[in-house]
Amino acid sequence: MNKLIPMWGMSAEIQWVIFIILCILVASSVAWFILGKLKPSKLATELQVRTRSWWVMCACFIVTTLVHPLVTLLGLMYLSYALLREMYPLLNLDARERNTVLVCYATVPIQYALAYFGMETLFLAFIPVFMFVFIPFLLVVRGETEGIVRSISLMPYSLIAWVYGMSHLALLFQLPEYPGFTAGPQGLLLYLIFLVGMNDVLQFAWGKTLGKRPVLPTVSPNKTWEGLIGGVLSITLIAVAMRFLTPLNIWQAALTGFVTAVAGFMGDAIASGMKRDIGIKNSGHAIPGHGGYLDRLDGFSAAAAPFFHLIFFFCYH
Amino acid sequence: MLIFLYKFFWRAVLGVVIGLRYLGVKSDVPDGPVIYIANHNSHLDAISMMTVVPRHRLHLTHSVAAQDFFGNSFFRKWSMENLVNAVLISRKKGANDVDPIEFLDALLRAGRSLILFPEGTRGVPGSMGDFKRGVGHLASRHPGIPVIPIYLDGLYRNLPKGRAMIVPFGGNLIMGEPMIFSDEDVDQITSQTQKAIETMAQQLRDSNRI
Repeated sequence: MNKLIPMWGMSAEIQWVIFIILCILVASSVAWFILGKLKPSKLATELQVRTRSWWVMCACFIVTTLVHPLVTLLGLMYLSYALLREMYPLLNLDARERNTVLVCYATVPIQYALAYFGMETLFLAFIPVFMFVFIPFLLVVRGETEGIVRSISLMPYSLIAWVYGMSHLALLFQLPEYPGFTAGPQGLLLYLIFLVGMNDVLQFAWGKTLGKRPVLPTVSPNKTWEGLIGGVLSITLIAVAMRFLTPLNIWQAALTGFVTAVAGFMGDAIASGMKRDIGIKNSGHAIPGHGGYLDRLDGFSAAAAPFFHLIFFFCYH
Repeated sequence: MLIFLYKFFWRAVLGVVIGLRYLGVKSDVPDGPVIYIANHNSHLDAISMMTVVPRHRLHLTHSVAAQDFFGNSFFRKWSMENLVNAVLISRKKGANDVDPIEFLDALLRAGRSLILFPEGTRGVPGSMGDFKRGVGHLASRHPGIPVIPIYLDGLYRNLPKGRAMIVPFGGNLIMGEPMIFSDEDVDQITSQTQKAIETMAQQLRDSNRI
């Protein structure tokens, strides 16, 4: 693979993936602009807003990924923090549970520090083993047991879902050298971001064009079988086509793409179910056209840990 | 000092750490004295409102705080007067006190802006009490001065009454259109401003319902 810009120190694979992302963004911006001019509709305006947000998100992702591993880590850490911060107000926690919430926030920097210093075993155990016991105990030690089952379930869940999952992306930087693989952890990270991002977009696109039969009519009426199957198949193909960013062979890439797409869908569905139970449409408003961090990153954080473990199993095992 | 504190430090804390979302904040607010009013549940309320005051008006904007709460310790008094740029008024009628309305009236005449919490207290978390008539008195005496209603949502979760520790929980700050009164009487102004903030609260709730 040749570099697009020979002067630039970035590896050829990364240059290509940035080029592909830019092409997609430019193409969709132009397409929705023309659609809006020809047939002004609510959908066209929404697509324009969403695409504009994708520009910002892609810029943030690419810049934080490429500047320095520490910047990437801090960026991911902020995302975990923002996800927790967006979830807690929705849960109607008791004012006396504020101290426990503070401990939950404090696990974020600890978990990412464990990833940064490469303490893999402790990293894998910290939240599901230690915090899993410690946080319910903190709730109990208060001495009031009313409504405590709910908090005991929710707080460790929130840590697993939004901190543990996302932090696996920081652990990609700890993978050892793999002979003949030059894209590095940045390549793997952009590969996952590309797959999950495209997964959301393509499931939406397939669902809007062909969608008839809803998958989960009572949870999220907009998700259809057509969208799900179309999205998963396209992502599997895209994963194979983009495998230059990974050390995977063709079958491993196909399986990784398939698992990532399915996990992304599941994460999305779980978040939809929670939001429906709480009675809200979006969890926040940070990203225009998409909702909050939680609405956008539900798929990412569900797909991150399975993605990491598949890569590790295939290539570094 | 105030500019650094509110335009940089608190803006960063509220925006990045607490995750406060600013809605409808316009930069072309009317120059000159303004009365900002909001619902009141937390000490963060006045701070978050100071961050949306235009930079050149910051040192001319006073939040109005209760003498009986903030005046009773030296530290509170000093920090309110120097860090929040607040003026303290008494909530109870005393014999030798200046009438608070006269005092605030004089400030407005001197070209100062005010941040008022017409509920008069932080009240019950997450709910809004009835407005006291102070804002009506002030606005009816100064027909030209715009009243800007601000709805603060969720700040009481970050710093509730009786707590010292800020725990980030997000929130919304919604600035409404300036209201200019001409010949409405005190009660009309009071109820209209209360209505304006209640409507903003309702719209925020409705906008995110399934």
